[in-house]
Amino acid sequence: MAYSLLLHATSELPLPAGTSASAADAALVAQLQQGNEAAFRTLVARFQDRVYSTAFSLLRSPEEAEDVAQEVFVEVYQTIGQFRGEAALSTWLYRLATSRALQHQRRQSTRKRFAFFTSLLGFTNNLLPEPPDHAHPQALLEGAQQLQQLQQQISRLPPQQQVAFTLRHEQELSYEEIAAVLGTTVAAVESLLFRARQTLRRHLQPSFRHV
Amino acid sequence: MSNPDFRPGSDAQWTDLLRQLGRQANVQPQPFFYTRVHARLAAGQAQATAWLPAWVRRPAYAALLGALVLAVSGDGPAPHPGAPASQYDGYHLSQPMQLAPR
Repeated sequence: MAYSLLLHATSELPLPAGTSASAADAALVAQLQQGNEAAFRTLVARFQDRVYSTAFSLLRSPEEAEDVAQEVFVEVYQTIGQFRGEAALSTWLYRLATSRALQHQRRQSTRKRFAFFTSLLGFTNNLLPEPPDHAHPQALLEGAQQLQQLQQQISRLPPQQQVAFTLRHEQELSYEEIAAVLGTTVAAVESLLFRARQTLRRHLQPSFRHV
Repeated sequence: MSNPDFRPGSDAQWTDLLRQLGRQANVQPQPFFYTRVHARLAAGQAQATAWLPAWVRRPAYAALLGALVLAVSGDGPAPHPGAPASQYDGYHLSQPMQLAPR
């Protein structure tokens, strides 16, 4: 379904005051489904930081995070008619953000592999793309180096573990919320997090020894 | 046997590292994010409307081709002759009669 929703511009969003977050979300969704532009603007304003920072945590690139965040809101706009409220609005947005970010990751790694392959065959004389380096001069400090190392190791985790770890330690979501985003059980989330922490600590252990 | 993962000090460092990671996650998109999302939606809509006539044209071409084929093929298939009732009938129907020798 492409752009089935036409937004009607309204000056004000008549959300009832003093309602709970879930009731406010339900009202927002109902208004979005009616094509209320103010509701869409409110949705973006309410969730843009969470969606952007989730994408940034998984991609570590401001440009890609921006791209993913935009894609997420475009998808929300296109598919809001299909949203039945079985999950919380935030859960749905986290789900979209993480799946889109992982898609970007996969595309990036495929591109890198292809570039490597073509460079081996001599199809191109271009140099291989370097991984983005967003290190601040402060990153020369040991603590920041460890943090950078941790971020690199997180990006090497299996996708499910990566998402669970990011949502827990960067977005500070509860186990129940993570389970809802991943569509799994709390026990499975605990297992994912346990394995992720074990792997990360094992890889970071040498640097810990020198501190 | 000691497990290096659970040395004292290592846990504190790990916790501190996770705290730093959490602090790093407080990033925000550039200002006017909604404007950019809106522009992207508008661009998508323009693309969708530009794509629509081409999509509509394809079945029109197919229908035109179908009509042309029907017009050229005539009213319908020619009636198939029935099977001969006897050998004599079959002889008459399928071959010219030979003259008897004098």
